[in-house]
Amino acid sequence: MTVDSSITSALEKLPETPEETVLPTAMETITQTQTSAESVTPLQVHLKAESGNLLLILPPQTELKEGPAVWSDLWLQLKQRLSAGEKFWEPNTLVHLIAENWLLDGRQLQEIAEALAESKLVLKLVQTNRRQTAVAAAAAGYSVEQESAIAYINQYQLTSTKPGQPFLEPLYLETTLRSGVEIRHPGTVIVLGDVNPGSSIIADGDIIVWGRLRGFVHAGARGKRECLIMALQMEPTQLRIADFVARAPENPPAQFSPEVAYVTDEGIRIAKGLGFQRPDLS
Amino acid sequence: MARIIVVTSGKGGVGKTTSTANIGMALASRGNKIVVLDADFGLRNLDLLLGLENRIVYTALDVMSGECTLEDALVKDKRQPNLALLPAAQNRTKDAVNTDQMKQLVTDLAQQYDYVLIDCPAGIEMGFKNAIIAAKEAVIVTTPEISAVRDADRVIGLLEAHSIKKIHLIVNRIRPAMVQANNMMSVQDVQEILAIPILGIVPDDERVIVSTNKGEPLVLAGSNSLAAIAYNNIARRLEGEKVPFLTLETPPEGLWERMSRFFRKK
Repeated sequence: MTVDSSITSALEKLPETPEETVLPTAMETITQTQTSAESVTPLQVHLKAESGNLLLILPPQTELKEGPAVWSDLWLQLKQRLSAGEKFWEPNTLVHLIAENWLLDGRQLQEIAEALAESKLVLKLVQTNRRQTAVAAAAAGYSVEQESAIAYINQYQLTSTKPGQPFLEPLYLETTLRSGVEIRHPGTVIVLGDVNPGSSIIADGDIIVWGRLRGFVHAGARGKRECLIMALQMEPTQLRIADFVARAPENPPAQFSPEVAYVTDEGIRIAKGLGFQRPDLS
Repeated sequence: MARIIVVTSGKGGVGKTTSTANIGMALASRGNKIVVLDADFGLRNLDLLLGLENRIVYTALDVMSGECTLEDALVKDKRQPNLALLPAAQNRTKDAVNTDQMKQLVTDLAQQYDYVLIDCPAGIEMGFKNAIIAAKEAVIVTTPEISAVRDADRVIGLLEAHSIKKIHLIVNRIRPAMVQANNMMSVQDVQEILAIPILGIVPDDERVIVSTNKGEPLVLAGSNSLAAIAYNNIARRLEGEKVPFLTLETPPEGLWERMSRFFRKK
């Protein structure tokens, strides 16, 4: 088969330590229970273009460890997301802030507006289901829509338990993911830049890194084994696809070439990117 | 308007304070008016390295609380009149100060000086946030160790989020012999991860420890050690000069070393 012939030397070393490439069933169940709970709604700051405006959707404020619980985390996530996607909008694009249940005061709204202005975006409208946030937004001169629930988020929460839910559109990030940054996205993630050690990407779809992949990545986090991880230089801390776990070989190869990680019955395998054919398509 | 530069690293003990003292001194000796601000409230060290501990009357906290004027608290260095120190309070913790106070203080300092160098505490908590709030540029100090580089990477991410985009790197305490033997990360290895422009490479040097204990920055002592030259070069590069990097290769082994090694092997 074409796949077998294209397996790189990096991976040929892996079967020597099989217990680490495919972890025992006990470990698999742990990841499975984890995955059922996560990435159902966008748990991070989310930007979405809609009828000429940009929607800035804040994740619902929860106690869940996946989402930001405090304002400073939220602000940091917003700044990182804005700087990673600057070329996807024209200067002076209007932004609708969908603040969910976040309680924002005038100063915090101003900080959001400043962060947007730095990326040449203009805050126009605030949608919230908190009265205090609505008052603060009105006082600061923004249009206000006060709703008890947001249709967009609701749609995800309602369908969350149902199978066959569509992925969100791919998340395209043009940035270096530095240590401490965690990207969670219910869809495919594309990174134009390096993924440094200490950072992580958890995606329901594929993960494509146009750069060095040295962090922790989990593709197909909701259990989709067909998902792939691709990188120009594959030296991850740990790779996960669906409920499979693998780590990079102890001795990195002398020369790197673009590689693809995919799931076979024996666990995660890595093949040279050139000439790779998806196992499910061949 | 002054250039406001924060010297930071994330990890402790990599040489932030030593770098601040030496860069400050080197910039001052080049005719710039410098103030170095110790933002490490509760664990201040910069005064020790500059040998100014016994001349502190007021601290930055006294200025913020209005107990004295900014002029009262600034400690002028007798050996180098272009350099002044604004010491941190030692009897308080980092929570005693907030970002607004810090911003005001640095803005006031920036009126009177060419450079404001801020010595940032280790960590990424309140002290870090206070130290970077008013800074326009940053100098990251790291050693060629995986832990220091990882923390530096995190700090660069935080600085970028705080809209500090002009970030330069100092790789401190490099040991060329160990790099050559592949026992230490090279500057290239560090830069491959951090991906920010290099401002300087400072070799490991025992004389740095001596100068610290004497309270006399290496640069001031007129030392011709490689570390002192490296810090002088860093100051020149900060001012926009193009200075080639020091070649830090170990001299080739002499006949004596080769012979003694030959006999030890036997």
